[in-house]
Amino acid sequence: MSRLYLYGITRPREVPQRLADQGVFLVDSEHRSVVVSELGQVDNGGPVEATRRNLLAHADVVEQLHQDAVVLPARFGYVLESHEEALELLELPEIEQLLDRHERTCELTLRGRYEESVLAEVGAGLQPLRDAYRAEPSVEVGIALGEAVGERLAARRARDQSLVLDELRPLVLDIAVGEPAGEFAVFDLALLVERGRVERIEARLEELAARLSPPIHFKLVGPLPPYSFVRLGMPAVA
Amino acid sequence: MQRESSQGYLTRAPRSSGLADVLEILLDRGLVIDAYVRVSLVGIELLTVDLRVVIASVDTYLRFAEAVNRLDLRAVDDSKSVPDLFEKGGEEVAETKTKGAVEGGMDAIKEKMGLGSRSDDDDDDDKEQSGSGSRSRGNNQ
Repeated sequence: MSRLYLYGITRPREVPQRLADQGVFLVDSEHRSVVVSELGQVDNGGPVEATRRNLLAHADVVEQLHQDAVVLPARFGYVLESHEEALELLELPEIEQLLDRHERTCELTLRGRYEESVLAEVGAGLQPLRDAYRAEPSVEVGIALGEAVGERLAARRARDQSLVLDELRPLVLDIAVGEPAGEFAVFDLALLVERGRVERIEARLEELAARLSPPIHFKLVGPLPPYSFVRLGMPAVA
Repeated sequence: MQRESSQGYLTRAPRSSGLADVLEILLDRGLVIDAYVRVSLVGIELLTVDLRVVIASVDTYLRFAEAVNRLDLRAVDDSKSVPDLFEKGGEEVAETKTKGAVEGGMDAIKEKMGLGSRSDDDDDDDKEQSGSGSRSRGNNQ
């Protein structure tokens, strides 16, 4: 009996032919299904390797299935020992709640990034330090100036992030706030939205992005399965 | 498969096509079911932490300081404003080092995952977080 690789959980349905051809199938209970494929010959008994190929395959399966209906995507790397273990998983009471909650949702990820010119703007109030650096361009004075710029940049980031969050909250069901990565990153958000509202939200973001000064470049990815909103034990959002 | 809005401030991608997107989403999010299944996640928690490092270093501060002066002085006076530190190519060194830290992390991850040997268009996506302009490979540092 082969071990099973877990992609996620969905409602009983037909698996699209393209995925079926790749060995993806469902293990069904009455109203819930586990999306898996047999590890078969590639199974070395150990962990599934996080290769580019495997990661993209996982994303492809859950995103394809999500186009037609609810999918609770699993985090990468879970392996089930048997069909029985798959069925046990479906008996978790929270699974039914999550399937209900995400019946018509999708996730959009939204990242924002400043241009370098933001430094000119945040440096505008630091004239004494800048004069000092010009007069004495030492490492010490440079660090003092750079730290002051960094602090102002952090304050600007916090302000712009909450401004964007305030704009978004009325439009979405939920927001997961991530840690922005990179010195010019402003925010890293996952938005839970109704499938039917994606275009409207996109239009609002476009309008917001054009209005902000200094400019923030937005990158919007989706609609995706609700990757960031499927935590077991997560309190239901009213 | 991306497109930009008319103003150019919104980039759209319908799916998580780039490796960076997929890495973050699949390793950091998604259903976690510790109690029931055998988890096969070796070293992945550490990798995701590396991805999220926000650089706060002497290099960054010095580059900020230099940039603030440069951006500000364009129209004013550039005769005596360039600090000694940067006259010796220090500007480039600082920039290279900082980006190297970010991209070096990514390279390490790719290496660990056996991804380094593949060339792929998607990889362009992976590095956009680390800034714009000329790129330098971090593993040469």
